[in-house]
Amino acid sequence: MNKLYIFLKYFFIVVWTVFVVAPFLWALTTSFKDFQSVNGGVTYIPWVDFEPNLEGWKVLIKSPAKGGVDIIEPYFNSLFVTCTASLISIILGTLSAYALSRYTFKAGFVKNNDITFFFISQRIMPPIVLSIPFFLFLSSINLLDSLTGLIVVYIVLLMPIAVWIMVDFFNKVPREIDETALIDGCNPYQAFLKVVLPNSIPGLIVAGMFCIIFGWIDFFFAFILTFTEVQLLPVKIVALNSSVTPWWSLSASALVSVAPLIIVAFIVERYLSKGNLSGAIK
Amino acid sequence: MAKIDLSNISHSYNPNDPNPVYALNPFSMTWENGNRYAILGPSGCGKTTMLNIVSGLVRPSAGRILFDNKDVTDLKTEDRNIAQVFQFPVIYNTMTVYENLAFPLKCRDFSKSKTNERVNSVAETLNLKSFLNSPARKLTADQKQLISLGRGLVREDVAAVLMDEPLTVIDPDLKFRLRRNLKEINEEYKTTLVYVTHDQNEAMTFADNIIVMSEGEVVQTGSPKELFERPNTTFVGYFIGSPAMNLFESEASSNDSVKINNTLIKTNTNLSNLKNKNIKLGIRSEFIKIAQNQNENLVEVNVEKVEDLGNYKLITAKMGDFTIKSKVTRETEIPTQNVKLHIPAEKCCVYEDNKLI
Repeated sequence: MNKLYIFLKYFFIVVWTVFVVAPFLWALTTSFKDFQSVNGGVTYIPWVDFEPNLEGWKVLIKSPAKGGVDIIEPYFNSLFVTCTASLISIILGTLSAYALSRYTFKAGFVKNNDITFFFISQRIMPPIVLSIPFFLFLSSINLLDSLTGLIVVYIVLLMPIAVWIMVDFFNKVPREIDETALIDGCNPYQAFLKVVLPNSIPGLIVAGMFCIIFGWIDFFFAFILTFTEVQLLPVKIVALNSSVTPWWSLSASALVSVAPLIIVAFIVERYLSKGNLSGAIK
Repeated sequence: MAKIDLSNISHSYNPNDPNPVYALNPFSMTWENGNRYAILGPSGCGKTTMLNIVSGLVRPSAGRILFDNKDVTDLKTEDRNIAQVFQFPVIYNTMTVYENLAFPLKCRDFSKSKTNERVNSVAETLNLKSFLNSPARKLTADQKQLISLGRGLVREDVAAVLMDEPLTVIDPDLKFRLRRNLKEINEEYKTTLVYVTHDQNEAMTFADNIIVMSEGEVVQTGSPKELFERPNTTFVGYFIGSPAMNLFESEASSNDSVKINNTLIKTNTNLSNLKNKNIKLGIRSEFIKIAQNQNENLVEVNVEKVEDLGNYKLITAKMGDFTIKSKVTRETEIPTQNVKLHIPAEKCCVYEDNKLI
């Protein structure tokens, strides 16, 4: 029984690992192949099955004039837009979530829960519904095809996530903590900054992670709201495609674009394993 | 440290409702500087509301609160200089024990050396010295509660330390020691301590003044002795003391006596205006003894059971339809037949409409 259990456990771990890792391995080997190695039958092992070369990677940093598709600028654009929008969303989202969790709002029949739902409803809507309003809005304030415009739009998209996660989190932080801080002599702002916020770091990390992921992978709005001046990474990667699919450079760019998320995941995982997320509240 | 006046305080959580429900009915009270008070009552009787009004977490629907004759009703919690300890430990998880204890002082800009001195002294009292540098979240529940308590005691200048059933999560042995510590702290620093509890023993051993509450009403305030010997209402008689006060429905007879099961019991209360009215006679089981050579106020009973409770014996007896309980010393011999109990007149309390006459 026990042996069977161990066997099954490892069996599923192996299956899952293969499922997760295989696409990466596929992309990694493909990125070092050329036209012949991709189209000339199935090959796996470099130097044995095929002769690896760096052409797929070189294209990514070569300027278009030399037949490349310089992704460095879009890469940093993406980093900048995602980080800025996430940071602002987290700050605004946390503040509104705290207010929604601790104070009572009432405007006619609209109460706290309705406001929270309003935030979430922004994500329930299919993005296509928002595309025309966003386009017209950005064009009316001359922010089409600009980083600032994208940041504004991404804040609208990311803040609901932050509010949603943080409201739930603050609701789980006992109100007595705030009250104790007040009794100990903090004003409400200090109570929030010095006591409630440090207790909510796990929530902040989770919310931040989601914001970064959703900001980083967005293609739709980056595609619609930018043209030539500014490009984000997902749009640029899609633009790589041509009549002859360049599997090698597509694979290379896919790996490069996933890298920041892997780094984020590693940091969060570290934090998780230190036990800082669990037991933050009794 | 301050004298706290509560004047005509009342509170409702739905004041705008056409029929507001009052968590606290109007009352007035003064808490003298440096005394120990216990607020005693069953769950949901308004004890915590009363504390929260004093600390400013709740603004009363009506009435004023004065600290040293200064009106603080509209003053915010953080400006009131109050310490409050809740039923369950509230600690700042991200800080060490030392930082937790120092937090109230840090918020009020105390000097480093003064903070250090106070934190160490409080940690000494509460046996927390060896944990000062550990993260607070790693401690056990009762140690966490000690931290909450310590944060309340660390400031010497507080108007009062309010404690809302603070020892619920602490084991009995430590509980006993802590209650004594709190008494010592009160005697040494003359801090006003207000202690909410539903445990009468805790209230009796801790406080020199007990406020008994029931259903949002302050029923009686007084020393443990007063509450025990002269309960204002049958509720207090029933709620305080173990076993509860003996209460007999009866009617007044001539010569200030009360008729129970055809026996006349003489009392020291003037009952001349209450003749033939339904009243209740209350007497503590501690005062009822087996008759020796008295010839007045004797009742003949059938002993139903005798429980040996370690330091005393509890007799449960029947006289007609009435059950009577008597607490006697362990050495007392209890005869099996013709038992006569003596009810001392000076200890009898007579209640009309459940209120003491």
